[in-house]
Amino acid sequence: MPLRRGVVAVGLLILAGSAPSPVAAQPQPPASREVFETVVELIRSGDADLLPVALEKVRSGLKGEAFTRELAEEVLPSLNKPQDKATLLAALADRADKAALPAIMAIAEGPADATVRAAAIRGVAALGGADEVPFLIGLLSSDATTSKAASGALVAIRAADVSAPLRAALADQDRPGPERLALVGILAERRESSALEGLLTAAIDENAEIRAAAIKALGTLGGPEQVPGMIDGVLAAQSGAERIGAERALVGVCTQHREKEKAAAALLERFEAADPAVQEALLPTLARVGGPAVLRIVERLIASPASRERAMGLAALARWPDASVKDQLLELIRTASDGAERELLLGGLIRIAPLPDNTLDPAEKLALVEQAMELCTRDEDRRRLLERSSAIRTVETLRYLLPFLDQPALAESACLSVVELAHHRTLRDGHKDEFIKALDRVLATTTNAEVIDRAGRYKLGKTWERKKAQ
Amino acid sequence: MAFDPAILDAPFTALQGFNWGADADAFKPVDAAVVAAHNDAGLRAELEKRFAALLGGGASRATKEYVCRKLAMIGTAVSVPGLAALLGTAENSHMARFALERIGAPEAATALRTALAQVEGPLKIGMLSSLAARGDKASVAAIAPLLRGEASVAAAAAEALGTLCTPEAALALAAAKATGDVAAAVTDARLACADTFLAKGDRAAAKAIYESISAAVGAAPKTHRERAVRVAAKRGLLAAAD
Repeated sequence: MPLRRGVVAVGLLILAGSAPSPVAAQPQPPASREVFETVVELIRSGDADLLPVALEKVRSGLKGEAFTRELAEEVLPSLNKPQDKATLLAALADRADKAALPAIMAIAEGPADATVRAAAIRGVAALGGADEVPFLIGLLSSDATTSKAASGALVAIRAADVSAPLRAALADQDRPGPERLALVGILAERRESSALEGLLTAAIDENAEIRAAAIKALGTLGGPEQVPGMIDGVLAAQSGAERIGAERALVGVCTQHREKEKAAAALLERFEAADPAVQEALLPTLARVGGPAVLRIVERLIASPASRERAMGLAALARWPDASVKDQLLELIRTASDGAERELLLGGLIRIAPLPDNTLDPAEKLALVEQAMELCTRDEDRRRLLERSSAIRTVETLRYLLPFLDQPALAESACLSVVELAHHRTLRDGHKDEFIKALDRVLATTTNAEVIDRAGRYKLGKTWERKKAQ
Repeated sequence: MAFDPAILDAPFTALQGFNWGADADAFKPVDAAVVAAHNDAGLRAELEKRFAALLGGGASRATKEYVCRKLAMIGTAVSVPGLAALLGTAENSHMARFALERIGAPEAATALRTALAQVEGPLKIGMLSSLAARGDKASVAAIAPLLRGEASVAAAAAEALGTLCTPEAALALAAAKATGDVAAAVTDARLACADTFLAKGDRAAAKAIYESISAAVGAAPKTHRERAVRVAAKRGLLAAAD
């Protein structure tokens, strides 16, 4: 009985507040007073079923500013429950009639309940424009609920000339730090390309939080033109987490942007023109970008008779972003006489060998893993290499791993990699018998509860949900 | 160039002996002929004659279904008697309706209406469904009395009346004394009817139905379904008044 089911479904959808209008195709005649009063009655009734029906009328029916003003100026203040007020505020925001703005602004400015005030602030964003931006910016240093609502409102507000007051506020050094910090995030979330200049200035601000947020924003919004300024940001960052974050943002522009080659060239140009101290500070970033020109610099440093320059060059090579430097690394590891130097380079090789980039095909990656394994002298390096090798998702990797299950010092790492490979259903199902046997061996070897659980699941064709990083 | 009917002899012979699982390539020329018949009255008549022979003969169910599908595309009043003869058979009734729903000739609707009075149970429900699908408003008088019949047929009659949605259908639904599932079907049909009136601009008729349903369900619905009906009626009332 399709018709009957259909009508009930429409009713249920209406209860959920998402049903299409039965007269969507009809032009709306002037709203009648009777309908308005019924809507108000339903809003005030607190009837959970009928409230969505009334709010639907507020959103898209009852045409005319007079009704808007009456809803905002008379009905809204008369409601007792904060939730009812917040709901009507949301509907008035969706109604998109600016006639409601003065009343909504009054609530946003006043000492209303936090939920109601937050709804009013969202309403200001929906109905307001550039004139309301200063007010919203002023709320950024209020209590948590209000500032969060204001921040969301400033991201959402869509009107001409909104970005200018936001940029001006960010540039105003007299503003409280939390406000300026929030503004950086707001401009980034709005993807305001006109704010790039301001973000570059903020990237060398005295406030470390603002610096970090600004350069992070530049990492997603910036391009080659911003690279010189971002370099200043990297150099202004304190060593540690802030410096790493800044370097990551700059590397992102030089490796991910659509004009990444141009961005990388800008970085290289600035590096070559810099004094030695700045070059030393920039070299880790440059190395993470990679490329033939940078490799020439790194090789020159490694060949230098000055031990400091050589150390810089080796550290840079160990940070290389892909496996294109594998031959240099293998050669240097084989000929290294210094233990620390060898350890550094081997770490780099272990990192790049299975990298899922396009430098090597899977067979070449596995061959490199085997070469790296031969160069390992410590079990901790072997374990790291075994665990990283699961990034090469082939049955040949599985076959390579299996003998390590018999070596007690390496068995747990090999078990982990086997289950990691088995996690990928296409690979597992394509070589079902081999994986079943391998997983049986894992179950007989490992003492790791999670690995046991995973192996058991994969054997049964089940999946396993990876825990999200905290 | 005119289509030579003689080339259909072999494919129709193959079709005569067809059954599911067998090779259908042998009568592919029939598919091509059906397409060509859209612009060729002579070919259409030839095909209808040959299809009628298959429907009336001892062809398999698979063959008759194939024929019904083709007649749904090119059938005229000429094919109605052959299809009508299948309406009373459980095995072929639904495919005959499939064709008759789509044949524009009024004879097709008449055949369905005639069968409505002759068949019972699921086949009668099928006729109601097809008459509603055709939008055959002339069948309202025949359908309305079925609201007082067996429950599944009464519910299907309510659905059909809700779809046809003439003033007479609305009156019949309003007058129905139904309980249980049939009452629910009647309410749904009335809501569908009111929505149709509203969409057509007959606000007064729509409002009358919404008000009646709103009053019947009351201000304190007890079940989820009653709540849904109350919301639908109230929403309709607001739309009718706005």
